[in-house]
Amino acid sequence: MKTLIKIAWRNLWRNRRRTILTASAVVLALLLALIMRSMQFGSYEQMIRAGVNQTGDLQVHDTGYWANQSIDRAFFYRKNLGEDLHNIKEIKTVLPGLQTFSLASYKKQTKGVLISGIDAAVYNKQNHLSNKIIRGKYLNPNNNDVLLGDKLAEFLKMNVGDTLVLLGQGYRGITAYGIYRVAGIFHLPSIQMNRQLVYMNLKTTQAFVYPYQPGLLTSLSVFIKNQSMLPTVKKKIENRLGNNYEVISWKTMLSDILQTIKVDNISGQIMLLILYIIAAFGIFSTILMMTMEKRKQYAIMVSIGMERRKLIWVSIFETFIISVIGIIIGLVLASPVIYYLHFHPIPITGDMAKMYLEFNIEPVLPFSIKAHVFLSQTIIVLVLSLLSALYPIIYLSRFNILNAFRH
Amino acid sequence: MSIIEAKGIYKIYQETKVPVNALNGVDLKIEKGEFTAIVGPSGSGKTTLLNILGGLDLPTKGDILIENTNLKALSSRQLIDFRLHNIGFVFQAYNLIPVLTALENTEFIMELQKVSKKDRMKKALELLKAVGIADKANHKPGQLSGGQQQRVAVARALASQPRFIIADEPTANLDSRSTNELLEIMAEMNRKYHSTFIFATHDQRVMDKAHRIVTIDDGKIIGDETFERR
Repeated sequence: MKTLIKIAWRNLWRNRRRTILTASAVVLALLLALIMRSMQFGSYEQMIRAGVNQTGDLQVHDTGYWANQSIDRAFFYRKNLGEDLHNIKEIKTVLPGLQTFSLASYKKQTKGVLISGIDAAVYNKQNHLSNKIIRGKYLNPNNNDVLLGDKLAEFLKMNVGDTLVLLGQGYRGITAYGIYRVAGIFHLPSIQMNRQLVYMNLKTTQAFVYPYQPGLLTSLSVFIKNQSMLPTVKKKIENRLGNNYEVISWKTMLSDILQTIKVDNISGQIMLLILYIIAAFGIFSTILMMTMEKRKQYAIMVSIGMERRKLIWVSIFETFIISVIGIIIGLVLASPVIYYLHFHPIPITGDMAKMYLEFNIEPVLPFSIKAHVFLSQTIIVLVLSLLSALYPIIYLSRFNILNAFRH
Repeated sequence: MSIIEAKGIYKIYQETKVPVNALNGVDLKIEKGEFTAIVGPSGSGKTTLLNILGGLDLPTKGDILIENTNLKALSSRQLIDFRLHNIGFVFQAYNLIPVLTALENTEFIMELQKVSKKDRMKKALELLKAVGIADKANHKPGQLSGGQQQRVAVARALASQPRFIIADEPTANLDSRSTNELLEIMAEMNRKYHSTFIFATHDQRVMDKAHRIVTIDDGKIIGDETFERR
């Protein structure tokens, strides 16, 4: 076997230019495929990350809340509920939340708003909301002040220090109402959120929605340490909390995003297929040349007693070595580019940027550095290259020695 | 007893619309230790006969027996194995493996025979020494002259300890000096190891060394003369 590898290696370097050409086809195919897929998966990860930052990896609700998101399906927080969740070691953070809709009014302006009651400190740690404050201050847990989206503040013609009137439906049919001072105005990537979102301290929201008993929540957003543990953590929570609660994963909560990704991924795969076909023809044509060029050498070897099977191994080794060289160079060239673009994403401008913002996604093109992107493309390119070895394999198993000698 | 027996060999090529009869009923026996030249004009069927005797091609009709093994009865794989252990080849265009050195070319055939590394190295060096090219052992074919390459080809042919060696126009591409040296080497091998050589040639110098000259024309043997060693 050692000699066969030696012959394959030397065969390759006998025609250096052709070998470099073949390896270049592999390099180019891998480089383009990696950059394309990394950009695509980077965008998907960004879309999912933006969504998960809002929803959490998992959410715990009262059973039936997800299907019918009414304030009447809120639940009261029990101390042991929190302990049950905090005892699961894979969980990083638990964010209690209370969301409801209300009318917001200031002077002559009125608008329907989404109120999000948050634990200001924990929420800020997870979402860095305080960094998004463009005027005023972040929420103070010791008062009832609120934060408004900049577009909402603009619509209501409000500024920091003004007083907002909220009027809506509370828990179990009561009327929820209150007046709240604006502590700060935020700007989030999502225009939709800037237009309709009001952040309040959780306790303030609970008092607004149902002042008779503390601890009302619509969700507990659970952030886990490692995405791969998602099914395990979901199972653990379900086992601990029983049938009174539902545990919904981000895959259900963000199903529309996943659907968009799926459709986009198909178009990416079609592009990739075209790229692979072009690259495969490049590789195949040079392998074909290599085989034709060495017909006489093959004939010598078989005539002196070398089994065709061994010759086939030589040919496979040649293709494998070329492919591996191409793949290594491709990875070496692509990795720094992809790593750079992962940490320094390409900014998106114009209408495309607006569209990103509508979907609450930062208008940048980040590149994925997930191992599966590199691994899958490497394997595909390797398999494609090795498929090109089928021609020499078929040729070597059938060729006529005397005809080959004549060439 | 003959080591090669060709019985009623016909070879018809059907590659064009008009069939070409390359051999028309050749009967030939070769004894062990013979130094035989097959001669005849171009297109007479020398190379076809040599290819058939060497198991590189099979006759359309007739049988080739090599010490009672009928080559026609062997499968393609068995035929390759048979050539490996029984037949040595020296080609007109040297046909060494271009990416292997002289030593590796000589050694390669023994490696295919699964001879141990130590034994094949020793034997390959001995053979290269015997053909007078030991000092070029680590040179690749491209770094050797035609004569030197043909000497390596002889060493390679002898390395497998074949029953006989087929040499198709081995001197056709060599100058006079190289031809004489090569023929002397082969004659020496024939004398020393009793190696059987079968040449196809036009070269008078080869004929002068041969113990037997078989003349072929239009695919038929028209003369078969045996000589005392010259």
